[in-house]
Amino acid sequence: MTGPTAFTVNGQPVRLDLDPRESLLDVLRERLALTGSKKGCDHGQCGACTVHLDGRRVVSCLTPAIQVHGRSVTTIEGVSGVGGLHPLQEAFVDNDALQCGYCTPGQVMSGLACIAEGHTGDDDQIREYMSGNLCRCGAYTGILAAVRQTAALREE
Amino acid sequence: MTDFAIPRVGAREKVTGTARFGADRTPGGCAYAMPVVATAGKGRITRLDTTQATAVPGVLLVLSHLDDLGIVPAGSLMRGGYAFQSLQPLLDDRIAYRGQPIALVVADTLVAATEAAALVRAEYDEEPIAVELGAAGTETQEAALADVVAGDADGEYERSPLRIDETYETGPQHQVPMELIGGVVEWHGDTVMVHEGTQTVGALRGGLARQLGIDPAQVRVISPYVGGAFGQKNALQPHLAPLAVAARRLGRPVKLVLPRAHTFHAASFRPLSRHRVRLGADRSGRLLAAIHEVDQQDSRHDLLPATYTELTSRLYDIRNFRGRQRHVRTDTQSPGFMRAPFEHPAAFALESAIDELAVATGRDPVELRLANDARTDPVTGKPFSSRHLADCLRRGAELFGWAQRRPDPCSMQEADGTLVGWGVAVGAYPSKTVPIQARLTADADGRVLLEVGGHEMGQGITTALVAAVAGDLGIAPDSVAVAVGDTARVPHHLTPGAWGTNSTMPAVHAALLRLRERLGAAPDGPVDVAASVKQAGGDDVVTEAVTQAPGQPPEMADRMRTGLAAPTGPEYPGFVSFSFIAHFAEVRVEPVTRRIRVPRVVSVADCGRVASPVTADAQVRGGVVWGIGAALHEHSEVDPRYGGFVNSDLADYVIPVNADVGTIEVDIIGEPDFALNPMGVKSLGEVALVGVAPAIANAVFHATGRRVRRLPILVEDVL
Repeated sequence: MTGPTAFTVNGQPVRLDLDPRESLLDVLRERLALTGSKKGCDHGQCGACTVHLDGRRVVSCLTPAIQVHGRSVTTIEGVSGVGGLHPLQEAFVDNDALQCGYCTPGQVMSGLACIAEGHTGDDDQIREYMSGNLCRCGAYTGILAAVRQTAALREE
Repeated sequence: MTDFAIPRVGAREKVTGTARFGADRTPGGCAYAMPVVATAGKGRITRLDTTQATAVPGVLLVLSHLDDLGIVPAGSLMRGGYAFQSLQPLLDDRIAYRGQPIALVVADTLVAATEAAALVRAEYDEEPIAVELGAAGTETQEAALADVVAGDADGEYERSPLRIDETYETGPQHQVPMELIGGVVEWHGDTVMVHEGTQTVGALRGGLARQLGIDPAQVRVISPYVGGAFGQKNALQPHLAPLAVAARRLGRPVKLVLPRAHTFHAASFRPLSRHRVRLGADRSGRLLAAIHEVDQQDSRHDLLPATYTELTSRLYDIRNFRGRQRHVRTDTQSPGFMRAPFEHPAAFALESAIDELAVATGRDPVELRLANDARTDPVTGKPFSSRHLADCLRRGAELFGWAQRRPDPCSMQEADGTLVGWGVAVGAYPSKTVPIQARLTADADGRVLLEVGGHEMGQGITTALVAAVAGDLGIAPDSVAVAVGDTARVPHHLTPGAWGTNSTMPAVHAALLRLRERLGAAPDGPVDVAASVKQAGGDDVVTEAVTQAPGQPPEMADRMRTGLAAPTGPEYPGFVSFSFIAHFAEVRVEPVTRRIRVPRVVSVADCGRVASPVTADAQVRGGVVWGIGAALHEHSEVDPRYGGFVNSDLADYVIPVNADVGTIEVDIIGEPDFALNPMGVKSLGEVALVGVAPAIANAVFHATGRRVRRLPILVEDVL
């Protein structure tokens, strides 16, 4: 009941024999040792597993891994440049947009998408488009500030 | 000493996804476990059929009560043990609550384990259940401990010209940290390694050793990062010993990550509590007497000692006070600690009642609170180690613009019909101190390593400790490393959010003084660490210190070393000690939907000296977000027919999202409290939540004229 699946993760080609029931999240974490994406619910309710699939944000726990055949996946591990942090990651640090850090990779992936989608018109819009990512520590005001600050950099 | 405002330690690892949490490792040959849980509310398992499950390709074993696991219960945290409850599942056929584990499936893959777990069949001989207060079959009993009594509360209450007598209710609620429960267990010969997010590596070590009948030296627990905890991870949980048994039998590492739904029954929760509050006052609102009677939900197998009245008896200068706390046994897992476990519900009850008193007297709620502020502890007559609650109220009122508030309910409507309400409430939290061991290693390159019995759950303890060491020695923060959450380094006491920093600081302070002595440095001022270490003639200089609470007997440090809890406070010889906070909230009730929003909150805290400004601010913000959740969203639903908690996922157990949170302005008084400890630090992580929910509830009253005495406040309450 397995089938060959080929896709890229952070630009690297991957070929795996996968059970159709394996989620992209479990494949990333358990087979590819990319544990930056977190499991917080496994039901698409918390956003901790958010990755980009062909540039769009998806919750990897609800994405069957076989469905990414021929597609391109970007995880938090693929966000930082060689020289250092992405500006949004810098902004998360500068605005203390995290506490325990468990939801943070998913917040960063959603934040990048939120900016790319152009959903940063005002604070309320950012709040709304960042509301698929739960943060139980309650770092929301910092997350808002980090996304706002990074979106403004892009516009400059 | 310099106060360093350093960025959060570990932030870089967290934003890049390189911080390694408990389940973030997959050792070679790792097998996967999946529990099966009871679908009966109470009774006995009459038949457990694992045939289909074991037939699934890749299944390695299925553990259940039919098998002799060779483990014993670890004992309850509250009764000299290590576990969140006394009941250890999988040892017999008894079912005490819906959701109790009945089997553990282990397989080569997670897919196989999940498939097989769904194929385990159980039949039950079911018994009637009671999961709600007041249901037939509950048992109510008086508290084991004597309750707080001062003066003649009943007599004074009866004689008071103004009387408030109302009942308030909160809970049940669940902590739901984002990190799921679980981790990886791996045997190396006779030694077992546990990687699991926890607030208490010491209890996991001591408890697992007791359960397996091995020497604690054979157990190492590692937990450098914890993905939030909020009390959920403050004890050993029942999944760990069976997991260790499975790993030993298979000779393979085993990983377990509980499904989110399981976590609602696999650990503790905030129990439902019902509070009858009676306040007696003179016509001006001066409090003469208070009676606070609480019924708290408990399990059949344990009692959670309740300390609601610890808070209500100390928040104001009430000379005549009587508390009574009863326990109502229901068919659930044992409830336990969730952020500000007793203080949040108690503050909701008392601070709602105080607001009702303000309305009854026609006095401004801030003014009424100031008029009833306590100078000394009304219960013992002892001084407070420090108390700046009045300053919190005054500063908060100013920052919020409270003077602009129109006193009458429904008086601040917008043109579109939006109802605006402003509310205030205060909170306190006892300063608990626990024994802590700290070890400092200074090396010839000028680096300093601090190994200390603490846990980093996101509250920022490592940031505060780096700032403390760097500030004391006058060295760069990046030459200081802090290691927490590892039993191989030093013994660890349990770290509840609010006891960590104020308990570890004195140990670090003491170890720093010894380090200065060993390095031949003055008791204060900057130290050239590299040069002094070289001069001392070695590669490094190591000093250690163990500190305890003032007046705490030395045996308490032995408890800490074995992983048992050993807190002292709020009563110390000569004083009592609490942190304080005042919250001001604005709510807006939308005209058509009546949806309640919280666009802004101002919070001013008295937590002694601020050990780390960045993370302290974050703690208060987080507490406010929790308060918004408690006031308007969070409630664990039960079904009296079936038991268990039914809204057991993150779509149905509603916590605040980004769009639920407006602006939060935080200010901290920052007066050091040197009576409590030499660093002047009180606690902050829990007091931050205390009083937020009643501030919002009081604002809802101000907006709508509706007094809602049960949380969460729902749209239908204000229709």
